[in-house]
Amino acid sequence: MTTTLHEPELARLARRRAMVPYLLLLPGMAWLFAFFLVPILRLIGVSLQSGIYPNYEFTWQWDNYARLWTQYGGQVWNSLRFAFIATVICLVLAYPLAYFIAFRGGRWKNFLLVLLLMPFLMPFLLRTLSWKIILADEGLVVGTLKSIGLLGPNATLLATSVSVIAGIAYNFLPFMALPIYVSLEKLDRSLIEAATDLYARPTEAFRKVTLPLSMPGVVAGTLLTFIPAVGDYVNVLLLGSPNEFMIGNVIQSRFLNVLDYPVAAALSFTLMAVIVLMLIPYVRATGTDDLVA
Amino acid sequence: MTENGIPAVELDHVTKQFGEFTAVDDLSLSIGENTFFEDPTSGTIRLHGDDVTGLKPYRRAVNTVFQSYALFPHMTVAENVAFGLRRQKVDDAEIKRRVGETLELVQLSARGSAKPKQLSGGQQQRVALARALINHPRVLLLDEPLGALDLKLRKEMQIELKRIQQEVGITFIHVTHDQEEAMTMADSIAVMNHGRIERLGSPSEIYEDPRTPFVAGFLGASNLMHGTVSGNDVGLPNGAVIRLTDHQAARCNGHREVQIGVRPEKLSFYGRGTSENTPANRLTGVIADASFLGTSTQYLVEVPGIGQVAVVEQNLGEIHAPGEEVVVAWKPEHTFVVE
Repeated sequence: MTTTLHEPELARLARRRAMVPYLLLLPGMAWLFAFFLVPILRLIGVSLQSGIYPNYEFTWQWDNYARLWTQYGGQVWNSLRFAFIATVICLVLAYPLAYFIAFRGGRWKNFLLVLLLMPFLMPFLLRTLSWKIILADEGLVVGTLKSIGLLGPNATLLATSVSVIAGIAYNFLPFMALPIYVSLEKLDRSLIEAATDLYARPTEAFRKVTLPLSMPGVVAGTLLTFIPAVGDYVNVLLLGSPNEFMIGNVIQSRFLNVLDYPVAAALSFTLMAVIVLMLIPYVRATGTDDLVA
Repeated sequence: MTENGIPAVELDHVTKQFGEFTAVDDLSLSIGENTFFEDPTSGTIRLHGDDVTGLKPYRRAVNTVFQSYALFPHMTVAENVAFGLRRQKVDDAEIKRRVGETLELVQLSARGSAKPKQLSGGQQQRVALARALINHPRVLLLDEPLGALDLKLRKEMQIELKRIQQEVGITFIHVTHDQEEAMTMADSIAVMNHGRIERLGSPSEIYEDPRTPFVAGFLGASNLMHGTVSGNDVGLPNGAVIRLTDHQAARCNGHREVQIGVRPEKLSFYGRGTSENTPANRLTGVIADASFLGTSTQYLVEVPGIGQVAVVEQNLGEIHAPGEEVVVAWKPEHTFVVE
């Protein structure tokens, strides 16, 4: 089994070994380059054009960017507000749910996870449309709320911000629940045992040990919910009215209806930048990079 | 282990079942193991005379050093150590003082602001110990505390643990599967088998007189032989007669068929011709195998009608070779009877 390798051969082997990580990275990098970097550079290019479809010219039209604040401030506000409230609702619903599945699920764990994902077997549009029936003016929910006096006799839920937020929260719940579940699931149970051994009551053990250690899941879940929710437009389209229009609706109509590509591109790019700028301090403040490592 | 004659830990007919599995079966003693503190299926547990049966963990003055250490990864070493005192609402100045003191006790004063994952295994072990000791528990449970350390570090920590135990004077209940560790460290050992205590006593008592085949095999090595008693003599199948001390003979109490044992290091080789110096209990055989162990050599001697007998001799003189015919002999007081 002894093969003698000469120096040049050894050097070539070492060189080849050093190449392996780059070769493994290549497909992913190529993907990112072709489907992220190129489109985004093109998006920036388009965002600085001016003119009327189909004759656009590159003119450093910075004015396109100002439109976000001057013309669409209301929709931006709606987007951030709805996404934020929906994210909070998701967190409040998903944490106990994930906690229950992770700690009390026992042999039902996988079954409960399947149940959580079950709605996703139905197409997105159908799922959201069914909420239209649930929240309809003559429907069960409105009727019940009216009869117990929580809603006035002429109040409706559909085509209000309530139905839009409910739709967003419903559609993104699993994106919140799954990362939290994962971080709770991998939590070393002996840490909780150690906390109670050191005189922590169950609530203190949760506050001091379980919750801080599940923060990576909470942060991942809120990001996975908040980011797509800010850009969402389907829930408004199906469950809201023009009053609830979010920035996604504006971008969609600029791109597909008005064919005003430069403004649509400028809005898209700004939305992306705003989200990134908002989330950097959030991730920093929750200090999860330290825990993930 | 006792204060004013009251045992630190007292178990009174305690049984603990996990479903079908019986971890502890009708156990009564005055020092014990982890699982029966967790809400026993039946029986009573007393700490320093106080009934603690069924008390929630956060209400009893017992702290644990976990096998995996279970250090809180999101807290610094000092915060880990302070955890118990903070839960008991001790004031900050006092916590600071005691954390400093305890870290000094485990020789980690310099690492208070480090995170657990920045420490070595041995250091993490000491943090786990400090985190439990700082609360001055009435009893400290150590659940296989040295299991994750390598041999050299384990030896160091054994000595370290013993020093700390003597310094703080708290009862340590140390659960281990390492017999050597148990013998080095304990004042008193309870050997458990199938949830029952097979033997309770000091390391030397248990080693010299194990009383059951399980204990004889678990703590150190033993040569066990079946025989028939008459008076102080045990007749072996090959016709040899082994003498017992009066004390051991009394333990046969009427049984005729008994099992006797002797530790390998109690056996020595003698020439074919016996003299007055040769101890009374003798077997003749042929050396089947010799393994050199550095300070000693372990021989397996094939004795017709009995089987293989292990002999451990210090390497002082001649090392015998396989095939050599030998007489192995030992003193009556080194013979023990097992039930």
